[in-house]
Amino acid sequence: MSNSPRIAVVDDDEAVRESLSDLLQVLDLPCRSFDRAEAFLTAYASGAFTCLITDLRMPGIGGVELLRRMKALGGPMPVIVITSSTDHSTHRDVMENGAMACLTKPIRGEELIHHLRALGYDCDKGRGGGR
Amino acid sequence: MAEKLRIVAERGACPAAGAELADLASESVIACDLKGFIQYWNPASEALYGWPAMAMLGRRLGEISASIPLDSEHWQQLLREGRWHGPVRRCTATGSQITVSVRRTVRYNELGEALDVVEYGRGASIGVAEIGTHAAAEPQGGGAACWELDISGAHALLSPASAPEHPHDALGPDQEDALERLLSLARIVDVNDRTVRLFGGNADRKQMVGQPMANFWPAETRSVLTRLLAEVAACGPSQIIRRRLDQAQCVLRDATLTAWRSVAGGRNTAFLMVHGAAAGDRTAWELQASEDRYRKLIHYMPTALWQVDARGMGEILDRLRAEGVTDIASFLTEHPEIVELGKDVVCVTEVNSGAISLLGGRCAADLIRPVRYLFTGTPDTAKRIMIAHFEGRRNHAEQGRILTLNGRMRDVLFHVTYPMPPEQMDTTFITIEDITERLRTETQLRQLQADHAHAARISTLGELATSIAHEVKQPLAAIVTNAETSLRWLSRDDVNVEKLRQLTGRIISSASRANDIIQHVRSMAQRGERERTSLHMSEIVEEALLFVRHEIEARRIDLAITAAPSCPRILGDRIQLQQVIVNLIINSVQAIAQAESTERRIRICIGSGPPGALGFSIHDSGPGIAPDILDRVFESFFTTKVDGMGIGLSVCHSIITAHGGSIEAENHPRGGAIFRFSLPAQPHEARD
Repeated sequence: MSNSPRIAVVDDDEAVRESLSDLLQVLDLPCRSFDRAEAFLTAYASGAFTCLITDLRMPGIGGVELLRRMKALGGPMPVIVITSSTDHSTHRDVMENGAMACLTKPIRGEELIHHLRALGYDCDKGRGGGR
Repeated sequence: MAEKLRIVAERGACPAAGAELADLASESVIACDLKGFIQYWNPASEALYGWPAMAMLGRRLGEISASIPLDSEHWQQLLREGRWHGPVRRCTATGSQITVSVRRTVRYNELGEALDVVEYGRGASIGVAEIGTHAAAEPQGGGAACWELDISGAHALLSPASAPEHPHDALGPDQEDALERLLSLARIVDVNDRTVRLFGGNADRKQMVGQPMANFWPAETRSVLTRLLAEVAACGPSQIIRRRLDQAQCVLRDATLTAWRSVAGGRNTAFLMVHGAAAGDRTAWELQASEDRYRKLIHYMPTALWQVDARGMGEILDRLRAEGVTDIASFLTEHPEIVELGKDVVCVTEVNSGAISLLGGRCAADLIRPVRYLFTGTPDTAKRIMIAHFEGRRNHAEQGRILTLNGRMRDVLFHVTYPMPPEQMDTTFITIEDITERLRTETQLRQLQADHAHAARISTLGELATSIAHEVKQPLAAIVTNAETSLRWLSRDDVNVEKLRQLTGRIISSASRANDIIQHVRSMAQRGERERTSLHMSEIVEEALLFVRHEIEARRIDLAITAAPSCPRILGDRIQLQQVIVNLIINSVQAIAQAESTERRIRICIGSGPPGALGFSIHDSGPGIAPDILDRVFESFFTTKVDGMGIGLSVCHSIITAHGGSIEAENHPRGGAIFRFSLPAQPHEARD
């Protein structure tokens, strides 16, 4: 997959956003990050993304609202929501709005990779031969 | 009766205007009816004869004549001829006789009927023998203090059996007692101006009339007066009794008392005249009385007062000034021995009862010594008092502590008032107010307020647990992911050392961010009084957002903060002020959430408030406050929310008030509620 489909990361918290980008980088998965849902939606119009990883609570358009808009736009793009909330109703709300997964912060890398593999991403490219 | 006669005199013989003019005349002017009853008696007459108008109106002019047969002859001649002039001999109030050159004129009405007689008199050449007594009896310008007393109530006491046969003899204790009662029974019928001035204290003539004589007569000479009155009561009406008060009775030194029974209209009153000895209006007696009042006032006033003689220090300071010292503060810092010298040179000259009790002394003598003992608690106070003295200030005040004679430390307010010429330079006043209790109460109150705010804070933190958890989880999430990423890099063949260094750096900064948040939450949860520090309100708001940002975002509320660039700093408790901001924001968030408004925004403005203050406002897009509860929103336990406690806004109110500010709530004209508070700006010189 030389021309890997891009993954979009949306989180208003810079440290979290950067850490997710770095994780995807070490997995050799190209990504682009956004600090607000609005910024992502502008870029989304170009149709350059194959997957979205988004925070739930953000200033402006939040995660659930973003899911609704994505659905309205009709794109079949899978969305993985990450949230610090452990509230069941929040998770249900997210899933009912069409998310592929709802992960709780701090997320475990394996968990995210599991979902990305399910989406067909090759997450083992950078692995050393020793492993 | 005397009053009535005076009116007759004014309306009849001398029309008001005429009487007024005659009041100012330097010649004696007397008006009598045709039978010689006096109807008008001017002040010059009083000066000449010693008898005040009050004692003379209604009496016959002939009564003061030294030669009655001759006088009545002259009177007949006057009535026949309409005019008479010549010398007459008259008795003065002090008992001496003087020769007066008089002119008498009969006044007639339009029908030619005789109306009355006006007599003008001037002191004629006085015989050498008379000079002494006259001069003593008639001090320049001073008239007699005259009393008319109702002694009818005293009559029972003065029946012949109980009246002393020889009033000059020593009286037994029983008689003394009876006479003492006499003075209480003798009521004042009338007094003249001089009596009011000399004896009245703060009472005016009206207040004196009807009162017992005993209320106004000085205690030292009471027995002299009672004996005199007893004698008068026992005597016939025409008899005049005089007493000269001897030197020993210091207050009434050289005074003469003259008394007689009233003969006018068959009243049972006695007249008493007091001729003072001192020149001028303010007699020694009056001065003494006022000094006594002053002394009593000072002694019993509730403030502790020290009178000190600081002239010795004044001389030292003058010498320093002459030697060219201008910056006395630095000079005294370099020469503490001068301050120490001052503590011994300046002496307490007088203290009042408040001072004795404040210092825990037994008597005034314990405190009448050099002022050193006043400065054991705060030794530098003495220096600052000297600086103010040097700078010629009128007053100096400062808070300090004082060690009492029984070893207790008290918080006090010193207040020094320095003398200024032409005042007596030996008198500097120091008042010391014990504020220990006040400070203690203030501390307790502050503690109570702080405890209340703390309890409310804990409750708020509980409500905001989710928000706080969210804030902490963000850096933790970053740390976990960064650490995992690092491990993945390490297990790759192409280890990116540069990237690993970056990831490790990010782990450290996220960890310290998590630590800061926890630290912050902990300080918010802490109890206790903190120091007031210099603060910027925009920093406070920024820090407060940590607790509520999540709430705002979760409810998709748009928050905008504007801060004027030049808004003043304030002096305050960082945590308590954050609490105010947190509570106000929560209040706005809940209002918006409850109303489910489509417009969801909060506007915070930080700027200049009223002059010398910082202003803050928070305006939400909620439904606003019902007008009937507008003035109750800051009350404790007042809430409109289903699960509200009614604590949040009342805590805001108590914190802002404790910071010397004020807070108010109103509805914004464009909708929603707006809360405003202002806090006093930090004074420039206090800034660090």
